[in-house]
Amino acid sequence: MLKPAIGFVAAVLCCGLASAQSSSTVGRIVAGANGFLASLDDAQRSKVLFDFTDAVQRVKWSNLPTTMVRAGLKMGDLSASQKKAAMDLLAAALSKRGYEKVLAIVEGDEALKNASGGRGPAMFGRDLFYISFLGKPSVKDPWMLQFGGHHLALNLTIVGADGILTPSLTAAQPAKYTVDGKTVRPLGAENDKAFALVNALDQAQRKQAVLNYKVADLVLGPGQDGKTIQPEGLKCSAMNPTQQAMLVDLIGEWAGIVNDQAAAVRMADIKSNLSATWFAWSGPTTNGSPAYYRIQGPTLVIEYAPQPLGGDPTMHIHTIYRDPTNDYGKKSTSRK
Amino acid sequence: MKPLLLALLLAGGASAHRLDEYLQATLIGPARNGIDVEIQLTPGVAMLPAFLAIVDQSGGPQAYAARASRDVELRIDGAPAPLSLVESAFPTIEAMREGLGTIRLKLHTSRTGHRVRFENRHLPELSVYLVNCLAAPSLVVTGQRRDVAQRSIEFTYSFPPGPLWPAAAGTLLTALLAFRWRRSWGRRFRLPTKPSASSAVASISAPESKSYPNTGCFRSHPPRS
Repeated sequence: MLKPAIGFVAAVLCCGLASAQSSSTVGRIVAGANGFLASLDDAQRSKVLFDFTDAVQRVKWSNLPTTMVRAGLKMGDLSASQKKAAMDLLAAALSKRGYEKVLAIVEGDEALKNASGGRGPAMFGRDLFYISFLGKPSVKDPWMLQFGGHHLALNLTIVGADGILTPSLTAAQPAKYTVDGKTVRPLGAENDKAFALVNALDQAQRKQAVLNYKVADLVLGPGQDGKTIQPEGLKCSAMNPTQQAMLVDLIGEWAGIVNDQAAAVRMADIKSNLSATWFAWSGPTTNGSPAYYRIQGPTLVIEYAPQPLGGDPTMHIHTIYRDPTNDYGKKSTSRK
Repeated sequence: MKPLLLALLLAGGASAHRLDEYLQATLIGPARNGIDVEIQLTPGVAMLPAFLAIVDQSGGPQAYAARASRDVELRIDGAPAPLSLVESAFPTIEAMREGLGTIRLKLHTSRTGHRVRFENRHLPELSVYLVNCLAAPSLVVTGQRRDVAQRSIEFTYSFPPGPLWPAAAGTLLTALLAFRWRRSWGRRFRLPTKPSASSAVASISAPESKSYPNTGCFRSHPPRS
């Protein structure tokens, strides 16, 4: 008689703790957002705030530099304290490794600016990243934080305790650079873990996974919202547990960008669909070669595409991360 | 030296945009009432002068759209399926100069069948290609095959009949009720204590694999708020 009661109390406590933890995470993000907004003057605030239903602003993101016109506030137009408040907000919204990845992409663009000369300063660099909000930051009502520029588009929809980071684009050019003698590879793990996985497949599995055609670019990149293509490659149900774990670890490079609380929910969803998830590869399987891959499941699309745009494709990578059932939090907001 | 090649050599430097290639990305959307084809054409910034000359030679944007449409072929069950140009949209030249310009062509055939072959023969000397089949609810696609350059794709598609369990459950439930009515004629009607026929049938008929969310080739997809 006592055991069920103890179990019930434990379940209630666990739910309560989980709920408290998630609400404290969202609370920190909202506090960070409000702190940033409070640091702005009225004119800046009017530039950074959009209605939550603003369908034009919601989809205004790209891999392209500032030749693609963005709205919101440009980091280069912020004071030092405002920039710090913006970055503190990002740190609260993302996981530690997610925040570091974002910084590495932004600093990579600064390295590109310095290497480019000419149009470099007008097109690239850490000052040319934009922040914007759709809706008012709230622990209860839906709102959205956008941060992006050249090679980065984070679209984080927050609906109560839910944090949905799809669709988002991460990219890198150069894909490898040095700062103070230290080598930085913003998407190095995405590259290395994928090559490790494809090389962990046996011959028959690899025959399934490796496509017999070239893939020149992202298929479901910017501007392709709401579309889903037929999956191809090797189904995860045909992988052994070690290979499946490697795939989950690889997926975590995108799903783990968002804060740990939201990432745990997302990873649980992805794992529940793992047997219906596909891994497809196009290109050589020797690490260091330019190779495209796609991971696709019922609630997941990830693409990794080296770009042959006038240079070494391995130094210029585009990736996309989507949940075709919940991009922009459409599933979560429809439940509200 | 060809003018295009010269332009490529002059372009140089770090590039954020597609340079020397004409990206032709096609999405094929089989539907019950035909097949939709969406082609997105993105000229690289370095090939823009050559590309604009081609558009001019074709007689302008609309004539070029018609030409590009004629250069693709769709066959269904081995027979040519004429594609009608339903819609075309051109970006501004300024947008194309910045590498932002994508031309969108929407085509449709009302032919249906099972085996599809699509081939794109438009400007092969300048182009790279992507071609994919869209997913849609209840659409089953098998046997996808492409050439190495993705200029062509073949696949088989079908729309299997919808799940029969609602009708079957209704029939079973009616039969069960009729049976009980006969047995308990004159007695008070009691609800069954075992799982209902409908839930039993539903569990038997549950789809084996998870379905992929849909899409639709030409639908606009404003995010729901």
